[in-house]
Amino acid sequence: MAKQSRRDFLKTSAIIGSAAAGLSSSTKAAPKNVLSEDRMGVLVDTTVCIGCRKCEWACKTAHNLATDPIETYEDRTVFKEQRRPNDKALTVVNEYPNTTSDKFPINVKVQCMHCDKPACVSACIVGAFSKNENGSVIWDGDKCIGCRYCMVACPFQIPAFEFEEALKPDIKKCDFCIERTSKDKLPACVEMCPVEAITYGRREDLLKVAKDRIKNYPHRYVNRIFGEHEVGGTSWLYLSSRQFEEIAFPKLGNDPAPGVSEAIQHGIFAYFVPPVALYALLGGVMWLNKNKKNHETDTEN
Amino acid sequence: MKTKLLIFLFALPLFVFSQNKVEKLHQTQALNCKTCHSCDIPTKENPCIKPCPRERLITIEQTPSDAPSILTIDKMKKTSDIYAPVVFSHRLHAEMADMGGGCRMCHHYNPPGEVVGCADCHELTRKRTDLSKPDLKGAYHQQCMNCHRQWSGKVECESCHAQNGSAKKTESKPKTDLAAKQVHQKVNPPELVKYDTPKANGKIVSFNHTDHVSTFSIDCEKCHSNESCNKCHAKYKPASLANRSVADKHVICANCHNTKANCSDCHKNSVVGSFNHKTRTGFDIAKNHAKLTCNRCHVEKGKFAGLKADCSICHGTWTKENFKHLITGLQLDETHADFECTDCHQDKNYANPTCKNCHEDKTYPKDKPGKLVKKSK
Repeated sequence: MAKQSRRDFLKTSAIIGSAAAGLSSSTKAAPKNVLSEDRMGVLVDTTVCIGCRKCEWACKTAHNLATDPIETYEDRTVFKEQRRPNDKALTVVNEYPNTTSDKFPINVKVQCMHCDKPACVSACIVGAFSKNENGSVIWDGDKCIGCRYCMVACPFQIPAFEFEEALKPDIKKCDFCIERTSKDKLPACVEMCPVEAITYGRREDLLKVAKDRIKNYPHRYVNRIFGEHEVGGTSWLYLSSRQFEEIAFPKLGNDPAPGVSEAIQHGIFAYFVPPVALYALLGGVMWLNKNKKNHETDTEN
Repeated sequence: MKTKLLIFLFALPLFVFSQNKVEKLHQTQALNCKTCHSCDIPTKENPCIKPCPRERLITIEQTPSDAPSILTIDKMKKTSDIYAPVVFSHRLHAEMADMGGGCRMCHHYNPPGEVVGCADCHELTRKRTDLSKPDLKGAYHQQCMNCHRQWSGKVECESCHAQNGSAKKTESKPKTDLAAKQVHQKVNPPELVKYDTPKANGKIVSFNHTDHVSTFSIDCEKCHSNESCNKCHAKYKPASLANRSVADKHVICANCHNTKANCSDCHKNSVVGSFNHKTRTGFDIAKNHAKLTCNRCHVEKGKFAGLKADCSICHGTWTKENFKHLITGLQLDETHADFECTDCHQDKNYANPTCKNCHEDKTYPKDKPGKLVKKSK
């Protein structure tokens, strides 16, 4: 894709905007079909994760983010509160109690899920987000205007805004280690994980692996792969011993999130119906009131 | 054509022979086809053999002393590593496993033949096409963490690894020395364990370990088949039983006792001493029946009550012909040997013989109808 500067973008959008004013728009905000059979994914087995947080360190190191030395990550007091990924940490591990064994708390790594039908891509009005054929959802800083629609749209509340530099908008989120994978390397967290709780591979293969694990160890897992169908499927898939909603996964339907937001957004603005309808309504109310007043003055006389 | 036929004829017995050999081996193991094959009908072209199935296909019959004592796990070693390879006290771990599930706790797949090590199935590289099993590093860590997490709840790298270029390196030395030998000291079994239960009526369960081992001759493995080290070594021991479900708490007792009914058999309001057949049932087994196992008399499994203290139930009817009085330790004199049993023994358990039928002035045991001898079998 050709690089586009913000100035170029504003120019083109102005032209398109004026053109669109006269035309009825038939825009489809959904991404082009990039759901290749060979798209990659990551399977997170929360029953294997030990909460060592080495993935957090690896992620920061790979993305040139400031990090404390690796030994400090053994501090488990951070689990006292639930954390979210932000502009300083693109992935975090949280901990939840295990109802069957207190010795094995459930640790859950959180990062961008890289949805198959990403809401951020659809919500972004300047096309700074894109879904790629390898499954990743990445963000192009050159196009971003800092509107933060993506943050609102994301069903997992992942895109984080770097507030320190307000004039240079910067959205931070897991980029599926696109730089590393393009060089045939594994994502940094996957490579680091000592217990291989996170497995990188073709999404289809991973689904098969996950289903085999559930079949072979029905007592170990709940019979569900989070991300197989949720919001239309995600590249990151999760296995768990507890119901996902109990370990702070959002309760989501199987319809892609863009489908919902797009339908509302586009429904409201299609053909300028709502503004016209609003004015018609207001006009109607005024007209009725005027009639009523006239009628009242008539009777008084 | 001829040569092909010859080759075929030559190869045929080989083929048949090898088939037989495999079949024989498989038959002795009582294997299920699905243990190794993933499809319903495996063919020569498509045998669909599962890659290292994690099934109970174990043939390691080693004792801890046969196992290698120390293994250095350095197969994944890279120069960029932060941590040094683990010096793994294999024999010590084998010993610990011996108290639990045995070799199979770690060697979860081992077809007949050589002992299969982790690296024989688990690949060295994380970037690979077969994702069905973890890579070697993942496999090791998963295996170790399974117990070590339970043991201490700690996942620190330093609990197993020395840091590269760190002074801590020497720390694992004494451990390895210990591990070279078998070190676990003799476990002293408890005599009586008192459990305080949350039950309102019948708070106390007295578990008499000695009774179960000696009096009832129950094999250790019957109860201790899957023991983990932290049964003894855990820091917060009392919590372990309290957290378990009602069914889990009773699971071992339920092997023999009916835990669904008759709670009060075990749940008492005070501590109960060791089992005594005489005080419990009124029948003293110490004299003549001490060496018998319970099931010699209590034939029906799990049913102990209702057996009457009537010798004839087990021994049939005794007569002067079939009973050698000598074995009681009293050899009857000639006169008395001719009598019927009932002439002296009028109660059913032959306990208190009477002399009154013939003698007015004599009583047993002051007067004896013969001479005492050493008891014989």
